[in-house]
Amino acid sequence: MAEHKTPALAVDGLSAGYDGPDVLHGISLTVPKGQIVTVVGPNGHGKSTLLRTISGLTRLRQGRILAEGREIQKLRPHQVAAAGIAHVPQGDLLFPEMTVYENLLMGAYTTPVAETVEKRLDFVYGLLPRLKERHGQIASSLSGGERRMVGIGRGLMAGGDVMMIDEPSLGLAPLVIEQIYEVIGQLRAEGRTILLVEENPARVAHLSDVMHLLDDGRIVWSGAPQDLLEREELLSTYLGG
Amino acid sequence: MDVTIAILVTGLTNGALYALATLGLSLVWGSMGMLNMAHGSMLALGGYMVFTVAVSLGLPVWAGFIGAAAAGAVFGGLLYLGVVRPLLKAGGPGFETSVMIATVGIAIGLENALLLVYGGRPLPQPFAVPGSVQLGAGVMPWLNAVIVIVAFVVMAVMGYLIAKTKMGRAIRATAQNRDAALLMGVPVERTYLQVLGLAGALAGICGVLLSSITQLSPTLGADPMLKAFIMCVVAGLGNLPGAVIAAFGLALIEAAVQFALGARWGFPVLLMLVIAILIWRPNGLFGRAQIRRM
Repeated sequence: MAEHKTPALAVDGLSAGYDGPDVLHGISLTVPKGQIVTVVGPNGHGKSTLLRTISGLTRLRQGRILAEGREIQKLRPHQVAAAGIAHVPQGDLLFPEMTVYENLLMGAYTTPVAETVEKRLDFVYGLLPRLKERHGQIASSLSGGERRMVGIGRGLMAGGDVMMIDEPSLGLAPLVIEQIYEVIGQLRAEGRTILLVEENPARVAHLSDVMHLLDDGRIVWSGAPQDLLEREELLSTYLGG
Repeated sequence: MDVTIAILVTGLTNGALYALATLGLSLVWGSMGMLNMAHGSMLALGGYMVFTVAVSLGLPVWAGFIGAAAAGAVFGGLLYLGVVRPLLKAGGPGFETSVMIATVGIAIGLENALLLVYGGRPLPQPFAVPGSVQLGAGVMPWLNAVIVIVAFVVMAVMGYLIAKTKMGRAIRATAQNRDAALLMGVPVERTYLQVLGLAGALAGICGVLLSSITQLSPTLGADPMLKAFIMCVVAGLGNLPGAVIAAFGLALIEAAVQFALGARWGFPVLLMLVIAILIWRPNGLFGRAQIRRM
C-alpha cells in the first residue's frame, strides 16, 4: 500500500474573524508538496484573512492548521514563519526605509547559516535580476512592480516549505502583472509549493493545480482550473445572485 | 576669541550629553511609538549607580560605567516586562497615551526610590578628570573632552549595532513595519525588550557623564530629558541621525545665546526656535509625515 503523503500545508475547519462576526466559516483545504493551490474570489470575501490566519496575524476561532502534519494554529506569527510558512503579504509590506538588499536579508531572518543565505540570495538575484541592479536602493523609492518583486524575493529568502502569496497582481499595470506571473510560473516549474490568492481566476488558471472559489467566507467550489471557468458558481460569486 | 572657545566647549559638551539622552528617547519612540517619560529618572539611576559602584563598593570608575549601563539596561528591561508589555497586550489605539502616563508614574517612583536610598543631599560624583588645556585664548577642561569622546564612542557603537547587526536590522524592521517583521520570523516582543534595554544602557552612561559636570540628585535628569524631548521633536520623532544633529545644533545655539545675552535667555530662545521650526516644518527638520524612521 502506498503511503499516504502528508500535505505541506493543510487547513481543517478553519473559522476566523476580526472584532466582529466570523469572516471565514469552516474552511478546509490542503496544499500538497510541489503544487500551486489557488484561492480565488471577489475582494472582501476573506482571501487575505485566510492567509493572515494561517500566519497567526489574525486570531483563529476554530479549526486546525497543519504544516507537514504538525499543528501550528497555536503558534505566534514569528513561530509560524520559523516553521517554514513564508507569507508574501498583500500590498508588499516592505521595510520602506531599508535597501532592497536589507529587505531580502530580513526575509532570511530565521536562517542562521550565512552560506545558506548567500545561496538563496544568488537564486533570488538570478530569478529577479532587476533586484540585483537595485540592491542598494531604498525600498520606498522603487516602482510598484519592483516592490512586488522585492516582496516575492523576500518570501523566497525564507527558504520555507510553503510560500503564501497574496494577490501579487494588485495595483499593477497589465504588463507588469504578466512579468510577476511569469516569475510565479518559473517557481512552479521549480516544483515549489505555493498557496496563491488572486481575485481574477482567468489570470491564474494556467498556473494552478487546484483552485478553490471563496464566496462570503466559504469555499463554494473546488476542483481543476479548467473546470472552474465553466462553472456557474463563478458567475454567481462574482456577480451576486 | 576666548568667548568662541567657551561657547564651543559648552555647546559641544552639552550637545554630546543631549545627543545621548535624545538617542535613547528617539530609539524607543521610533521603534514602538512610546514616549518614555521615565528616561530622565533613568539618567539619574545611572549617575547614582556609578556612585554605588565606585564609592560605596570601592571599585574602579570604569566598572562604575559598566554598572550604570547595566543598571539602566536592567531597568529598561523591567520597564518593558512590567509596564509596557501589559499595555501593548491590552491593545487598542490608546497605547501611546497610556504608556506616557504610566511612565510618568514610573519616573516619580524611581526618583523617590533614589531619594529614599541615597538621601536628599547632593552627592559628589566619583567620575572626574582633573586639569584643563589652553586652547588659544580659551580653556578646555579635560573632563569636557572626555565627555565628548565617550559620547561619540557610545554613539558609534549604537550606530554600528543599529545599522550593521542582525539585531539592529530586526529593530529597524519592527519599527518600519511590525506585521511584516513578524512574518519574517522576528520575535517582536524580544526586539522591544532589546530596544528598552539599549535605551536604558544609553541613559545609564549619559547619567554618569551628566552628573560629572553637575552633581548627583534624583531629579538630575529632568532638565536634559526636557531638552532631549525638544530635540527629538525638532529632528522628527524617531529619526536617530537627525536627533544627534539637532542635539549638537541646539546645544551650540543655547550656549551662544547664554554667553551673548545671559544664562536666563538660553531656554526661552531655544523654545522660540523650536516653535519657529515646527511652524516651518511640522514633522521636524528630518521627519516625514506618518513615517517612523530609524
